[in-house]
Amino acid sequence: MIYVKRGIGILTFLLGLTGLLLVTSSVFVPKNNTEESGMEEVSANGILGEKENTIDVLIVGDSESYASISPMQLWRDAGYTAYVTGTSAQTLDYSLQMVKRAFLTQAPKMVILETNAVYRDVSGEKAMISRLGEYFSIFQYHNRWKHIRWDDFKGDVNYTWTNDFKGYRHSKAVKSCEKKDYMKETSEIADIPEGNMEYVKEIKNLCDEHGAKLLLLRTPSTLNWNYAKHNGVKKMAEELGCEQIDMNLMDEEVQIDWEKDTRDKGDHLNDYGAEKVTRVLTEYLKETGLFQDHRKDSVYAQWNESLKRYTNVTGL
Amino acid sequence: MLSLSSYFSVTYLALILPVTVVLYAVLPQRFRRLVLLAASYIFFWAVSEKLLVFLLAATCSIHYFGLWLADMQRESDACIAAAPKEQRKELRRQALRKQRVVLAFAIGSQLGTLLVLKYTPFFTSNINSLLQFAGSSVQFEIPAFVMPIGISFYTMQAMSYLFDVYRKIIPADRNLFRLALFMSFFPQIMEGPICRYSETAEQLWEAPKMQYQNFLSGIQRIFYGVMKKLVVADRLNLFIKNIFSGYENYDGFVIAVAAVCYTLQLYMDFSGTMDLVIGSGEIFGITMPENFKRPFFSASISEFWKRWHITLGAWFKDYIFYPMSMSKPLKKLTVKARKKLGNHFGPLIAGTIALFCVWLSNGLWHGAGWHYIFFGMYHFALILCGSIFEPFALKITGKLHISRSSRPYRCMQIIRTGILVCIGELFFRAHGLRAGLVMFKKMVTDFRLTTVWDQSFFTLGMDRHDFLITAVFVVFLFIIGIYQEKGVVLRQCLARRNVCVQYLCFYALIMFVVIFGAYGRGYVPVDPMYAGF
Repeated sequence: MIYVKRGIGILTFLLGLTGLLLVTSSVFVPKNNTEESGMEEVSANGILGEKENTIDVLIVGDSESYASISPMQLWRDAGYTAYVTGTSAQTLDYSLQMVKRAFLTQAPKMVILETNAVYRDVSGEKAMISRLGEYFSIFQYHNRWKHIRWDDFKGDVNYTWTNDFKGYRHSKAVKSCEKKDYMKETSEIADIPEGNMEYVKEIKNLCDEHGAKLLLLRTPSTLNWNYAKHNGVKKMAEELGCEQIDMNLMDEEVQIDWEKDTRDKGDHLNDYGAEKVTRVLTEYLKETGLFQDHRKDSVYAQWNESLKRYTNVTGL
Repeated sequence: MLSLSSYFSVTYLALILPVTVVLYAVLPQRFRRLVLLAASYIFFWAVSEKLLVFLLAATCSIHYFGLWLADMQRESDACIAAAPKEQRKELRRQALRKQRVVLAFAIGSQLGTLLVLKYTPFFTSNINSLLQFAGSSVQFEIPAFVMPIGISFYTMQAMSYLFDVYRKIIPADRNLFRLALFMSFFPQIMEGPICRYSETAEQLWEAPKMQYQNFLSGIQRIFYGVMKKLVVADRLNLFIKNIFSGYENYDGFVIAVAAVCYTLQLYMDFSGTMDLVIGSGEIFGITMPENFKRPFFSASISEFWKRWHITLGAWFKDYIFYPMSMSKPLKKLTVKARKKLGNHFGPLIAGTIALFCVWLSNGLWHGAGWHYIFFGMYHFALILCGSIFEPFALKITGKLHISRSSRPYRCMQIIRTGILVCIGELFFRAHGLRAGLVMFKKMVTDFRLTTVWDQSFFTLGMDRHDFLITAVFVVFLFIIGIYQEKGVVLRQCLARRNVCVQYLCFYALIMFVVIFGAYGRGYVPVDPMYAGF
């Protein structure tokens, strides 16, 4: 009898705790996807303000993704809609979270994972907090206690903000680097950190469930990439049965000039480098035959407005 | 992917501890002790991998030497008992001499491993500096060893076991597994408390049945520790790191605040870990010795060290201070000095020599660096000054009719002790002795409030909210501390309340950590500070 009593006690306690976490989560969750509302990674989370089911291509990854792919150029040249939800030093737990978040309101036909993130260690603590954050936003937004307002107690969540650059972070800075032979062929395979493969599998399964194609893409970077890593991703792509493109091995097509196409000595590309990568990616997307040109579709009118502002700012 | 660098890691709190608790709860008594032993070795292997061999070697070594000492004692006791009365003294002396040789060898093997692994780089670099100073071109290569985690703690336990066997306080343990469990018990292997064999070995081997109340109490204490670590210690880290690594850029006020914050951080980190460690033990029904007793309520430095890292202080007292003070040469010195200097200052000479050795060891135990030695010498000097000036202080307060037991006087003493402790910790944390001296000088000569007026103070790693929540938590702990000083055991009071009140307290504790904890994006988990010592 005592065990039944204790069991009921523990169960009641856990139920109460769950309730408490749910209530505080509803208070702490940002009510809009703006910085003022306390949203984290606003540029990436701008996707939440996009009209439902209007994004064709979702891009996740670390800073390499938002420095290399320009959705506005893709829109201008092909009329496809893409959004970069890449964030600085993004690890795969966060990539997975962004994919899940995007699938709630969007139905992209393709998800592109920039594979530099595949070699980033995911700390157990952060992964757990990410998981918990999916159910109880308080774990993700607990630091908002510093800026909590009365409106947070009553307001409904309504994401209204969109990013004109669609997650791309432009830079015209040029800090050249020597064109070194960083992709020297080898049979060595760089091990993907334990557990990261599981995250990629989970992203792949999610894509399959939503009828989206997963593409593993590596954009050029002399500092972060080498042939052993290429082999590691190639092996993973084969195991998962998904396509992979390594632009570090596509000198002739991409034609990166390391004298002027990098913003920080080969670590990230600048606007000129991103223009070349996006051009090649646009051709690839056209060849898949998956996408339609939306440029004349009135539902996408806002994209043309964004393009004007993007052109004004970047001059591209 | 799962790291085990801290007791606050997910791997420990969500995997190793719960799995061990479940196995411990469901298995019969004879297997429970094995569960603890297996968990301890798996834990150590997960943290130190092949360096596990050092722990194994230390355990086997003390087991062997302990038995050797015990056999010698048995044989000599039998021999002395059978010998004529007039020969007994001589036989006893001879037996002790032999036992001392074995003890010295046993202690030497433990201490030697610690010295080689921890101090060789420090000693080598100092020898190189001396050679360079002497104009020699000879320089030795500075070796870099990887130390098994917790070596400073388990070596102290090993040595205390050997000393206690030698002193016949405890019998030598013939059961290698019991000794192995005493040495390796997983909640305490990384940061202590430094347990004595007589305190935990039997309890651990007995592996008592788990009790529901112990379980609840243990969980409570664990959360309390998590709160100290996550809400305060890890939050303060951002500010402290900035100031100590770029101290040249900051004025005396900022450095003074950093010194106070570091003292707080160290306390919250270490005492928080102790709460978690002792709480983990409580779940299994194991009572470990306390390591903290509200140190910031101390009226003097010597009292502070009776309340801070208690098990380390007690170890030095029992195995260095008393044996030295009671040694024949120092006893003789005391007798001579007493005749010449009187009853107060006479015994102080011998005590000072023993005290010097204790604080040199204390400084070195914390790390191989001159600033650690300085830290030890600083506290040695403060305690010594306290003893020397005690009669004068008594006279002055007597003449001024100041009651030493009055509350204002005690408050003044507490504040004075706190300031002295913070200055000591400044040198402890500084990047080297020179940096510590520069920081201290700035505190005295460059004390300005400019950063507060222009608000830049709140951009140095902690904003005003961070300072506010830290202050709130410190006040909360202070109030709890006052009750504890009055002898109120809050957890027992809580256990007597009805279940709703207990639940509410649990909820408050959990939600406080969830909301105000310094975790997630923007924060980097800080490795336990004492595990590195």
